[in-house]
Amino acid sequence: MLVEHDAKMIASLHGLPVPAGVLVESAGAIDAARLPPLPWIVKAQVPVGGRGKAGLVRAVDSIDAARAGANAMIGARLRGHRASGVRIETRVAHAHEAYLALLLDPAAAAIRVLVAEHGGVDIEAAAANGQGVRSMLVAPDEAVIAPTVAALAAGFAPPVANALARAAAPLAKTFFQCEATLAEINPLFVLPDGGWLAADMKLALDENALVRQPELAALVEARRHVYPEAALKITTGFDYVEVDPEGTIGLVTTGAGLSMMLIDELRAQGRRPFNFVDIRTGQFRGNPTRLIQVLSWIARGPRIKVVLVNVFAGITHLGEFARLFVEALEAVPGLRVPIIARLIGNGFDEARSILSHEAEQVMLEPDLERAIAIAASYA
Amino acid sequence: MSLDLLLDARLPVLVQGITGRAGSQHAVAMRAYGTHVVGGVGSREGDVEGIPVFRRCSEAVAHTGARASVVMVPPVAVRDAVVEAIDAGVRLIVIVTEGVPVHDALAIVRHAHAHGATCIGASTAGLAVPGRMKLGFLPDVALAPGPLGVMSKSGTLAYEVCWRLATRGVGQSVWIGVGGDAVKGTRFADCVPFFARHRETRALLMIGEIGGDEEETFAARLVAERFAKPVYALLAGSTAPEGVTMGHAGAIAGAGTGTIASKRTALEAAGVRVFTSMNALVAAAGEDLGR
Repeated sequence: MLVEHDAKMIASLHGLPVPAGVLVESAGAIDAARLPPLPWIVKAQVPVGGRGKAGLVRAVDSIDAARAGANAMIGARLRGHRASGVRIETRVAHAHEAYLALLLDPAAAAIRVLVAEHGGVDIEAAAANGQGVRSMLVAPDEAVIAPTVAALAAGFAPPVANALARAAAPLAKTFFQCEATLAEINPLFVLPDGGWLAADMKLALDENALVRQPELAALVEARRHVYPEAALKITTGFDYVEVDPEGTIGLVTTGAGLSMMLIDELRAQGRRPFNFVDIRTGQFRGNPTRLIQVLSWIARGPRIKVVLVNVFAGITHLGEFARLFVEALEAVPGLRVPIIARLIGNGFDEARSILSHEAEQVMLEPDLERAIAIAASYA
Repeated sequence: MSLDLLLDARLPVLVQGITGRAGSQHAVAMRAYGTHVVGGVGSREGDVEGIPVFRRCSEAVAHTGARASVVMVPPVAVRDAVVEAIDAGVRLIVIVTEGVPVHDALAIVRHAHAHGATCIGASTAGLAVPGRMKLGFLPDVALAPGPLGVMSKSGTLAYEVCWRLATRGVGQSVWIGVGGDAVKGTRFADCVPFFARHRETRALLMIGEIGGDEEETFAARLVAERFAKPVYALLAGSTAPEGVTMGHAGAIAGAGTGTIASKRTALEAAGVRVFTSMNALVAAAGEDLGR
């Protein structure tokens, strides 16, 4: 999910009008920013909804108030996400608020088009009550979106129906050209003179499509402090998430499902895993780079007490894994904690011989439950 | 439904991408396990360890009579490969490639529906009838014939659980990896009628995770089909942070949707025994089904 500012920049390139605004990433940067005309609204940039109710959206009428708002919001957290900056935007008064969204529906393998005459912060509650939101499933075809929106908006107040129908085409263009999974305008401002603007929007991208979306990939990489996981995936090709900066157990694991389950089980025992990783041993091809990266990130954890390795080798040869692991450990001398390696599968004996001769800090344990218990005893 | 093709022990299978590193390695491994691998599609003609290689799927099907294929081509090439297979008459397509763009997956699923073909995946470790065949790269050490039907989003978590169960004497009847992507050819719910009919399946294990509503839809389907066999569920991601993709493109929980609580409620209402720990699941299923 992109933050609002980035979503608006991309959508406006595809012809969607948005209120004038700038991104500011520190209160001190406000003075140098090319601020839009007053009055303003200051909005924390976090990739989740519910900012207004969390006090992360503020109407201000002076640069001092904007600075105070930025100070309060930058670094604030909403549902686990840190606000990396604020968007300072011209505040629009006396607008009617409508709703328009395109959502990829995985179960139906289709695009769900949603419209509501009355949008705004309570749209989810309204939708849950079956009130006001009209929707239809359509084929993934940019050309069918605008006619579908026009049909769904039939019977709305004419300026609202007109604004929805006109916003549909640029929103559809944004959705399909970016290979998005969600493109939502809420609210869509409809002005007394019939004009309209996307006052807030959400745009969720498909990380797997970034390989053929060079402009979006460049945006994610340029703003890697905002999108650390996505940027990392572009450069490294695997998934890594720091789940607890104060965590004591570093994980070197392969397979998304089993890695998630391990975190659940450690937490159920009151332990604090530091990271999630699906390192994909099958893609190593004789190269220790991924292991070096993950071990050095773990080494940076301030409270790391132990590292737990888990590889269920169906295809991977454990002897090769052990050799690469020894190489990686030598490349990360700062990591001086015990390492519990749960290895099972092809080449176990060779792995045992390599690790016992060349990596004294590694304890080999073929049973996962026992490996978890040993790791927990150090954490 | 083309899943019934699995019950034919001599099901002729193609490997698309057989001249690649993974394709050649796994074509040979599948054949060694007993799968009737009749040919491959790749970038050069000739053979891979005696398996004939063709340049086009249509040519491969015409020469070999293949009804199923395993797709092992790079992510952005998957869409064309699957469409080619469906258009050549292949009826069961197992897509093991990870990282297929979601709009491509959408096109694949719609093309399969329109032509009456069944796709499994993408991002699946594969499927197997243990003791007879495997399509994909499920590790042999975790495969054992037995009474438990298995469906899983995750490959590795299923390996671990099935291996532990197998060491306790509980093997699998049919193992279907549905894959971890959000948009996929076959969802948990789609497999319910197959497992209901399949005599060798005496109980069913669903290994799910946070994100999407597949587990909830599966629960509804069990009720609708009056599924009479015992069902176990293992759910991963109960402590995952909201809004962060955990490895699988489909594994992302948002406010109130895709959460473990929502899945647990739906599954328990359908009579499913729900677990969030491997040990507890293995103990329960081992007790009920073990020798």
